[in-house]
This record gives sequence, C-alpha cells and structure tokens, in this order.
Amino acid sequence: MSQVFLCHRDELEPGTLKKVAGGDAGDICVYNLDGKYYATADMCTHATASLAEGDMEGDLITCPVHWGQFHIPSGQAVTFPCERAVRTYRIITTDKEVFADTSAESEEAELAAASPI
Amino acid sequence: MNEIIKLRPIETSEPLKNLDRICDMESGRMSGKIFWDKDIYEQELEKVFARCWLFVAHESQLPKAGDYLTTTMGEDEVLVVRQKDASIRVMLNACPHRGNKVCFAEAGNARGFICNYHGWSFGADGGRLMGMHESKCYEESGFDKSQHGLRQARVASYKGLVFATFAEDAPTLEEYLGPMTWYLDVMLDMDEGGSEFFGGCIRSTIECNWKIAAENFVGDILHGGWTHDSAAKAMLGGPVTNVGELPESYSVNWNGHGYEFATDVVGNAATLGEREINKYLHTLRPKVAERLGEFRSKLIGAISSFTVFPNFSFLPGQNTVRVWQPRGPDKIDLYTWVIVNKNAPQEIKGKWRRGAMMTFSPTGVFEMDDGENWEYCTKTSRGMVTRYQDLYVGLGMHTRIDDSELPGNVFRGQLNECNARAFYQRWKDLLQSPTWADVPDRNGKMR
Repeated sequence: MSQVFLCHRDELEPGTLKKVAGGDAGDICVYNLDGKYYATADMCTHATASLAEGDMEGDLITCPVHWGQFHIPSGQAVTFPCERAVRTYRIITTDKEVFADTSAESEEAELAAASPI
Repeated sequence: MNEIIKLRPIETSEPLKNLDRICDMESGRMSGKIFWDKDIYEQELEKVFARCWLFVAHESQLPKAGDYLTTTMGEDEVLVVRQKDASIRVMLNACPHRGNKVCFAEAGNARGFICNYHGWSFGADGGRLMGMHESKCYEESGFDKSQHGLRQARVASYKGLVFATFAEDAPTLEEYLGPMTWYLDVMLDMDEGGSEFFGGCIRSTIECNWKIAAENFVGDILHGGWTHDSAAKAMLGGPVTNVGELPESYSVNWNGHGYEFATDVVGNAATLGEREINKYLHTLRPKVAERLGEFRSKLIGAISSFTVFPNFSFLPGQNTVRVWQPRGPDKIDLYTWVIVNKNAPQEIKGKWRRGAMMTFSPTGVFEMDDGENWEYCTKTSRGMVTRYQDLYVGLGMHTRIDDSELPGNVFRGQLNECNARAFYQRWKDLLQSPTWADVPDRNGKMR
C-alpha cells in the first residue's frame, strides 16, 4: 500500500481544500467536507484544470475552468462538461495526520461502481 | 511553427479628401453629408471611437467583485468587470479564437465567462484564458494560454464615472477632460457622498446620426423654447423659461467637450414638475456653495446641458445621463440612466427616476420631440442636393470672453453655437490626424 501524506488533521477548516504533490500518483486534492476528509486526483477529467483552484459547493467540487462538478466522496461526474468520474483515494487518518492510500478508491466510489445505474 | 503571430494594428487610413468642404467651422458652415456618409462613419469608428475615452459605467453599478455589465465602446462590444482588488477592468466581449460574443447578459455577477463556440473559458479576473474544451490538443501544439485572453482596454475613473479607451497613445483621462472637470463636479461632487446611478439602463433606438444628438447636448438650448413648448406646458403649465432673458448664462468648451448653462439653480429640475426635488436642491445649495463655491452652487439643477466628447451627455436637474451609441451613420442606440446624489433621501431618488422617465426616455415628453428633429436632420440627407447644402452653424461668433475667471474656453450666453463649432472642429481634427500627437490644440483660438 502506497501512502501519501496530505495534511495535519487540524490543518484544513471544514469547507476548504488544498492541492498536494502526490509523487507518482500525480497531484492530489484533499478536502475537508463537514469535518470528514476526502481526496481526489487534482486534475479535472474534462480538460486541464486544477480542482484545488475551484470551489466546494455543498458536497460537490466545481472546476474553476468550465464549472463542471464532481461529487467529492465518490468522484462521480455530476455537471456538464464533466462526464468521466475523477479518481478518488481512500483516506487513512491517524491521531494527527491525514494520508491518501493511492492503491484504493474511497468507499463511496466503490459503492458507486457497484451500483447498477 | 509555435510562434504566436500578433496581429499588428491596421495602419491609420488616409483622411477623406472633402472634409474641409463639408465642415468649415471658421466660416460656421457644414453639410449634412457628415450625418449620412458610410466612409465618414467607418473613419469615425477608427479615429474617434477607437481613440477617445468613452463612458462605460458608473462605479455604483459594480459594487462587488465579479459584478459585471456589458456595453459598447463605439460598435465594440465590451465587458466591464469589478475585480477582487476593487479595480475595474474593461475587455472586448469577443472571443480571441473566432470572435464570437462571449457574454450575452446585460449585467450580473460571475466567476468567469465561457465562449459557447469552442469552450474557451475566461476568468472574471481581467479575462485571463483559464482553459479550453479539448485542452490536450492545444497543449500538444504548444499553445500559450497567457497570450490569448480577452483584449483589455485602458480604464480610468473620474468621481464615479468610468471611462475606457483602446488607444495606447491617448492622453490620460484627466488630461482628456481638462478643465471641464471643474464643471463635471457640479453634478458629481455636490456633497461628500458623491453620485450613484439609480434604477436601470433604458435602451432605445433613434434613427439619427450620433453627432446631431451629441451636438444638441453640447450647447443647444436654443431649441428649448420652440421644440419643447408643448411638453413644457404639459409638465409645468407654462412655456419653457425665456432663456434669452436670463441675466447670466455661459457656453464653455474644451477639446470638443461642451457645457452650456444658466445660473438659475433649478430651471432644468423644475421641468420634472416635482416641488420636492426643487426644495431638495434649494436646501442643498448652501452646502454645495461651501464645497464648490457660490458660482457652481447656482448650477446644480439649472437650465443647462453637457457633452463629454464624443458621445456622453447629461442634463443636470433632470439628472438624465446618456450615451449615444453609434450603430451606423443613420442610427443610434440610446443608453440612458438616472444619476442622483448618494446622500439624497430615497423618496427624492425615486422622484428623479420617475421624472427622468417622464421627460427623457423613449416615452419622455421632451425626448420624443428631440428624437423627431434629429431623425429628420439625418434623413433629409438621403437627397443628394440636400446632402451638400450649407448648414448654418454661425451663431455667436463674437461672444468669446477673453479674460474670464472661469476655466476652459468661455463664451457669453447659452444661446450660442460656439460649442457646436468646437465639437465639429474637434471631430474633424481627429479624422484628419494620423495619431493623437498630431491632433491640434485649438484652445483659446476658436470663435
């Protein structure tokens, strides 16, 4: 299992996000969504854009370039022009730190993949 | 292969040959051809509208970052956007890919603007190109996003009025307005609150040349007692004030800008038929006198009109502000707003808004009579003989006051065509000058 350090547990206020260099995995965007941490690839799946420069709106991340949206927990594409889901990373938290497991997707993403719709 | 080709500005076109024949302000005559000719119009777009400072917005229309409005500079569509650092940027509302219009709304608040054609996305922050649909193929061809944002204009503000120009070599706005700022303060700086627009923009069309309207406001109160007699009787129950008998009035001009005014404090305002507005101005006047001096305090709602060259005009008193947007030699879109003092009571602001609509709007009792005059001044030049007949612009050739303490070129009396002469002279000078540096300085010299 490959772990990437994202941030300290008290570093991000709820409703804020941050871009982190992910090494081989590429840049990662970490979000504090109502006190719970999530992570996705930072690159939008539609065109070249950094999701960390966008806006969190509810549980959606709005891409700053064409304003398409993904569901943060599952990475599902929700609004045009985003069509393909963005890669999520499972979060591992310790006492004080937040990591991304780059070999696993979030639980919500796995549920979405398993869904017949 | 990856070089960005910058389109160079087109060389200034040669001045038209017959301009002196059709516009001779030393003799006080001109021809209707200046209101009708397509070649003249195209040169105006190039040498007047692409060169001068043009009004685009009042600061009060854009209170928050991301607030924007769309308007035109000449015939160029532009976006006016409030930035996060509180500055205002003005940029072409035309995508630098294939020229498509980017924003179709009149006003709003946005984080950016996306062209409908190929998905080029521009930030609200100065129209920076943020990204494109199918961005990967641009990256593969070495595309440099930073070179392809929305084209910017120069922007400057004077006491709430926001102007822009696309001319890199134009003088500063302060230089451009010159001593006319002393007179603009009469409307913009009555008290420490300054001014704001109240209500929205009314847009309408008049089938006339832009110059005939701009000239009317630059110095024509001569028409007031005749054109507007019936409207005045409707609004006031009596004829227009006998302007010829007012004890003190002036015409002032500078580089084509012009202001004609009496010192009767509320002559214009009174035409709205609202006693409370007259009372507000009379009550405010001592405060204005403290701030701007006794002389200017008598102008705040007086019989008067003003044009900032080329096409921004207003009436103190009725508080109507307008741009005569050129749409061809024989058509304008008239954009009009109401201006009020920020500190005026809400009720008074409301009366001004309604009053301006009743007098100077598509349904305005004064505007409709002006509109008809101007349409026919333009349309008669359909005829070839008419187009070349001499038009008289010679009234008041003997009225310059050489030792006036007032700023600008000062002339005796507001029943005068000296401001019209200065306006058309400036127009001709711009059409005959290859660059800003070549435009002659006629201050102190014209009759």
